[in-house]
Amino acid sequence: MNDEPIISWKVAGIALGLLLTLATFLVKPLGVSTQFVVTDAVVTHQVAPTFAENNTYLSRYGEPSEWTVGYGWMLILGMMVGGGITAALLRNKQPLQDQGFMPAMWVMRFGSSRIKRLAAAFTGGTLLLFGARLAGGCTSGHMISGISQLAISSFIFGLVTFAVAISVAKILYRKT
Amino acid sequence: MELLLIGFLIGCAFGAILFLGGATSYRKILGTLLLKDMSIIKLMLTAIGVGSLGIYLLDLGGLANMSIKPTYLWGVVAGGGIFGIGWAISGYCPGTCLVGASEGKLDALFTLLGALFGAFVFAMAFPVLDAWLLQNANFGKITLEEVIGVSGIYLAMAFSMTLLFLAFFVLKDRYE
Repeated sequence: MNDEPIISWKVAGIALGLLLTLATFLVKPLGVSTQFVVTDAVVTHQVAPTFAENNTYLSRYGEPSEWTVGYGWMLILGMMVGGGITAALLRNKQPLQDQGFMPAMWVMRFGSSRIKRLAAAFTGGTLLLFGARLAGGCTSGHMISGISQLAISSFIFGLVTFAVAISVAKILYRKT
Repeated sequence: MELLLIGFLIGCAFGAILFLGGATSYRKILGTLLLKDMSIIKLMLTAIGVGSLGIYLLDLGGLANMSIKPTYLWGVVAGGGIFGIGWAISGYCPGTCLVGASEGKLDALFTLLGALFGAFVFAMAFPVLDAWLLQNANFGKITLEEVIGVSGIYLAMAFSMTLLFLAFFVLKDRYE
C-alpha cells in the first residue's frame, strides 16, 4: 500500500515555486491569511455596520475598496475549488492514512474522542490566525512568498514559527 | 474582472498542489515538526529555491510585483510564536485548512472556523496591540539586499542553490 502523497515533493515544490513566480509577475506574491480578516469584515459590515466602522482594524477591510472581495479573496476561493475538485477526482490515490479527520497518530496519543480532536483543531485555528495577523502573514505570505523575496521579517517569522512548532510537537508527542 | 479570474485560477493551482503534495496531511505535518518526515521541508525548500530565483530574475527586468512585509520585530516574533503553537496543535496552516476543509475533513473545517474567530479576536485586540507590538522596533520593509548591500539577484542565486542543494542532496527523506 502506498503511503506517499500523489505527487512527490520535487514536483510539488517546483510547481509551487513556478506558481509563486507567475503570481508575482501577474499580480503579487501568494498570501492567504489577510482574507480571513476580509471575510470577517465583510460579514461584520453586513451584520453590524457601526461596530465594524468603530473597530480600527475591521474598518480597513470589507468595504467596496481594494480590501474587499477581490483578487486575494478569489485566490482562496480558488484554493478551495481547485483543492476540492482534485481531491474528489483523485480520492482513491490519496494514502488511506491521510483520509478522514481522526489521524492514526493522534488517536494513538490522545484517544478516539472526536470532540477532543475538533476542539484542538478549532483552538489551533484561532491561534493560527491571531498569530498570523500579528506577524503580518502566514506560511504562504511570510514563509513561501516572503522568504523568496528575501524579506527580513519573513526569515524571522520562519525561524520563530518552526522553533516553536517543533517544540510544541515534541511536547505533545513526548514519550510517556 | 480579469484580475478576479486570474486570482481564482492561481488559487485553483495552489489548492491542487497543496492537496497532491500531501500538505493537508496531519501525519505529514506532524512528521515534519517531529523532525522525522522531511518531505514537506523539502517541498518548501524547493518552492522557495525556485521562487526566490524566479522573483529576482523578474526583478532584473523590473517585472516583479514584490510585496515585502515590514519588520516590526516584537509583533513578528510574538505572532510567529503563537502561529507555531496553533500549527502544531491543529496540524494545519491557514492555506491547508482551506484545502483540507474542501476535501471534506472535519478537523480542517474546525480549524477554518477557529481561524475566522482568531482573526476576529485579533481585530478586537488590535487597538492595544498596535501601539505595543506593531509600532515599536519597526525597521520597515527591509530585505537581505539592503542589509547586506549586495544586489538581490546574486543573493537569490546563492540562496536558491543552497536550498535546492539541501533539498535534493543533503536531507534524507526520513529520520528515525
